[in-house]
Amino acid sequence: MNACIGSPAQYRFQDRFLFFIVPLFVLDGILDIWGFHYHHLHPAGALAVLCAAVQSSPIIGFIVIIGLYLAEEKDEFQKSILVQSMLWAIGVTLAVTTFCGSMEKYSQGPRVDIASVQFLFFLVYIVAIAANRWRYR
Amino acid sequence: MKNRLKVLRAERDWSQGDLAQRLEVSRQSVNAIETGKFDPSLPLAFKLARLFERPIEEIFTDEEERTSESAI
Repeated sequence: MNACIGSPAQYRFQDRFLFFIVPLFVLDGILDIWGFHYHHLHPAGALAVLCAAVQSSPIIGFIVIIGLYLAEEKDEFQKSILVQSMLWAIGVTLAVTTFCGSMEKYSQGPRVDIASVQFLFFLVYIVAIAANRWRYR
Repeated sequence: MKNRLKVLRAERDWSQGDLAQRLEVSRQSVNAIETGKFDPSLPLAFKLARLFERPIEEIFTDEEERTSESAI
């Protein structure tokens, strides 16, 4: 194992992210921008359920690959960095959505698109993992 | 928890990367343990003890124990 460039588990995690999560995100984006915003498609019934399942698949897939990484990674410190970053992402996402939801309820503020919450989760996760890696560089 | 990893490593003229390779962990892990930002698990502590051929208590010092001893 080369200590400088990452463990095999990290490589597998990166591959799974690139070849599994990124395509799901692209499909998600196509559905959202091309389908709902550009063509104003409003699927109903089983098609609506299928579209909703596709939209939520990146987050489900991400949790699966995180679980696989935690099971495969032998370096406990790297595991702890990932868990810390996940907790930041979950905490910030919950705090922001609760704040926005409360604002919407109390002051009739703008409606928050719940389907796009996962983008906030991924954004905070990426920032948190970068900050943690910098902290322990 | 304090430790003597930096001293033991310097005695052998090993870099953090060298030690990381021997322990099969990342260099960041060694750095975090050395600076006291991360406490290793018991299996990793035993691995360090075997590597440096010292008992665990010679490598790691429990801060609480030291404080209570000095209080007595």
